[in-house]
Amino acid sequence: MHIPDGYLSPATCGAMYVVSAPFWYVAVQRVRKVLTHRTVPAMALFSAFIFILMMFNVPLPGGTTGHAVGGTLVAIVLGPWAAVLSISVVLAIQAVLFGDGGLTSLGANCFNMAVVLPVVGYFIYRVISGNSDVNSTRRLVGAIVGSYLGIIAASLVTGLELGIQPLLFHTADGTPLYAPYGLNVAIPAMTIGHLVIAGPVEAIVTGLVFFYLQKSHSALLSREASQKSEGKLWFVWAGALVVLAFATPLGLLASDTAWGEWGAVELKKALGYIPQGMTALSNLWHAPLPDYSVQGMGDVVGYIISALVGIAVIGFLLWLLGRWISRKNEIKKNRSSMGGSAG
Amino acid sequence: MTGGGFLARNIAGFTQALESVVVTEDLCHAPGLMQGLDPRIKVVTLMLFIILVGLAQDFTLLIAIFILALLLVLLSKIPIALYLKRLLIFIPIFTAVIAIPALFITPGTPLLSIAGKAVITAQGAHTAGLLIMRVVDSLSLGLLLVFTTPWTKLLQALRWLRLPSLVVDILGMTYRYIYLLLHTANSMFLARQSRTIGGFSGTENRRWLGRALVTTMVKSQYLSEEVYLAMLSRGYQGEIHTLNELTLRRRDFIWMAFALAAISLMVWSIYL
Amino acid sequence: MISLDNTLIYKAKDLYYDYLGNIPALRNICFNIGAGELVALVGANGSGKSTLLKILDGLLFPTSGELMAFGTRLSEKILETGNLAAEFRRRVGLVFQDPDVQLFSPTVWDEVTFGPLQLGISKDEVISRANETLEVLNISSLRERPPYLLSGGEKKKVSLASVLSLRPQVLLLDEPTTGLDPWSQGNLIDFLLQWADKGKALVFSTQDLDVVEEVATRIIVIGASHDIVADGMPEEFLSDSDFLLRNNLIHEHSHRHKELVHRHPHLHEHMHEH
Repeated sequence: MHIPDGYLSPATCGAMYVVSAPFWYVAVQRVRKVLTHRTVPAMALFSAFIFILMMFNVPLPGGTTGHAVGGTLVAIVLGPWAAVLSISVVLAIQAVLFGDGGLTSLGANCFNMAVVLPVVGYFIYRVISGNSDVNSTRRLVGAIVGSYLGIIAASLVTGLELGIQPLLFHTADGTPLYAPYGLNVAIPAMTIGHLVIAGPVEAIVTGLVFFYLQKSHSALLSREASQKSEGKLWFVWAGALVVLAFATPLGLLASDTAWGEWGAVELKKALGYIPQGMTALSNLWHAPLPDYSVQGMGDVVGYIISALVGIAVIGFLLWLLGRWISRKNEIKKNRSSMGGSAG
Repeated sequence: MTGGGFLARNIAGFTQALESVVVTEDLCHAPGLMQGLDPRIKVVTLMLFIILVGLAQDFTLLIAIFILALLLVLLSKIPIALYLKRLLIFIPIFTAVIAIPALFITPGTPLLSIAGKAVITAQGAHTAGLLIMRVVDSLSLGLLLVFTTPWTKLLQALRWLRLPSLVVDILGMTYRYIYLLLHTANSMFLARQSRTIGGFSGTENRRWLGRALVTTMVKSQYLSEEVYLAMLSRGYQGEIHTLNELTLRRRDFIWMAFALAAISLMVWSIYL
Repeated sequence: MISLDNTLIYKAKDLYYDYLGNIPALRNICFNIGAGELVALVGANGSGKSTLLKILDGLLFPTSGELMAFGTRLSEKILETGNLAAEFRRRVGLVFQDPDVQLFSPTVWDEVTFGPLQLGISKDEVISRANETLEVLNISSLRERPPYLLSGGEKKKVSLASVLSLRPQVLLLDEPTTGLDPWSQGNLIDFLLQWADKGKALVFSTQDLDVVEEVATRIIVIGASHDIVADGMPEEFLSDSDFLLRNNLIHEHSHRHKELVHRHPHLHEHMHEH
């Protein structure tokens, strides 16, 4: 997901630095407030750990392998703001010293992997885990689902950044100047890869580490309780909402109504087929709110309403999932305690 | 069983990263042209060149920048084989794979048809070429910076560029401990490899990986607490004070004049 | 505020320290350490030596009991900020056992200048001190090197240099000779003996009774129960093999002499002349 230099126009790169800047600013302020004098060693050592985590080559069932980002995991252990800072540091070091990801595209890469990923992942983890015990299965599920959806959200945003390049930056005769593929190729290409490989890797790594932390080092997990008590969670919620609002209209963009100089038909002509995910995606988004514009209102208002409805639906489903898991746990617990008294 | 391959792949990755740190460190102290320049001037001028690469829209300019970068690599005594290895590995190949379909699917004037079916368009060739050249150029310039500037000098330049000192301090310390944790992780893999006969199943490997990561995380947490105490012991009170020993010399001004002239000329050629 | 009591440096009274609130690390520690003393802290692994050194350096604070340094009671509050804290940090230096903890800066030069710079010493003075320290320890050539590319012995030397550049009056060393080859160990011992004078104090933890014999003027033995089991002149205890055995400072070793098997306490390898 590391975008190298040359894929994004300088304008996009600049814009992404500007978009990331407020997150960096708040992250530095918040982390310094919580960790005080410990900030430097704590962030440095954790960032070094994240760097190592990203280097691990993880085998997936079926033979493929991949690398995880670990963004949701950091957010769970250190809190979302520390995650923003710590992953940005790792991305900067990767870009400068190992040529992994570009220098001009660093702002974009940080937004995708250090902001969207941990904030969405952590938000989902929080919603699913609710007030459950640190060692509960519900939390484990929250970590797994959160990390999976977090990386998918990041890949959507990455696809969006790449996909708008040919639309906005091309020569008079239509030659794309930067990343050559439109939204209808870039988004499915990014998301399908992440749904199938990078997402599962992220979920497996996060799940395993979370599981072993629960078993032997649950103190590292319960630290977030102190962050919660600060009452600053609303900010995370707000951040997640912004990000989801950002991600939701991608369905609209992916369907060839608004954008898409290369419509599905042209793509079909060129490739001989249309990536399945693309049609699936556009159908999915078309389903509840046709064309994303509520009748009688402007496109912008329609889009905002659609985004909010989307967020509400996702939030509700996650809440239901969390409830369901905790109910199952309680039943299990009751059963085992009944079994104990009977024996 | 994929077990042996899994361990070997990881060990190879860690070893390569460790080696690249050592090689970079050696190159930074070689007596070359770019090594002798002030890091602030280097960061600013090379970043300007990279932005210029982003703005460039024709091949001549991109090729001119590439030749300039190549010249600087030679004058900085960077082994050309090493440079090409780092340059060509992964990213341009990856980019080429990305760029090839663009040759065909970009709508435009037909340029060449292969087997009478797939048609390469002029626009397709142009866009694919631009993408690859841009990636190669940016990476060349980035490598020039990395291969000729020690990490500590780079940090001083970032500090001078008004990056918050807290962030610079974190960057500095992170890099130092990455090397240590790379070693830790590498020895865990080596220890497992030495005990491996016939490999483990994927599930076993994944479980072991989870535990290895937890061990590394716990070690990093322990170290962070100890390092904090070590800093405190030597008078740290929340902000790291550093010596700023950077001074501009005549060669810095010569380089700056040259770079700015070249950049202006190139910008002028774009917008003419 | 720190009274310049030149003879008494530390006065520890009934120190107790618990880890995580309930795991005892130190119990009932009492001693006075004066200027000119070279104190060896001896005890088996896990007896609490490192913890005690951190308490003496004002990094950890006893769960109960009190520690006076230079006539002032050490507390978290006193050492947080201000002149008093800076003065204490300048006077007392601790070299951690693990050089990877001690060396956190990007280069050796950054490392040696770190302490004096944090304490607000003028830049010219910092540079001259750092250069002098590197010369004294014969490591000027390592100046630009990052700490992670140093050998084990070099790391130990740079660790020491990073503290010596503060010109401390009290030097605390946690296992200074561990991992050194015999030649470097000899050099270190020579250096420490040269460094010490009437106004300074040295407290070091070690497992190596050789080093105790060569350097220390006083030995404090911490037992398995985390309290002081002996405190006095090294000669008194080093010859008492029953005492050493009892406190796990030496181990019983079997040797074969011709056809005869005999057992004797094991002090140092090179003392055997078989």
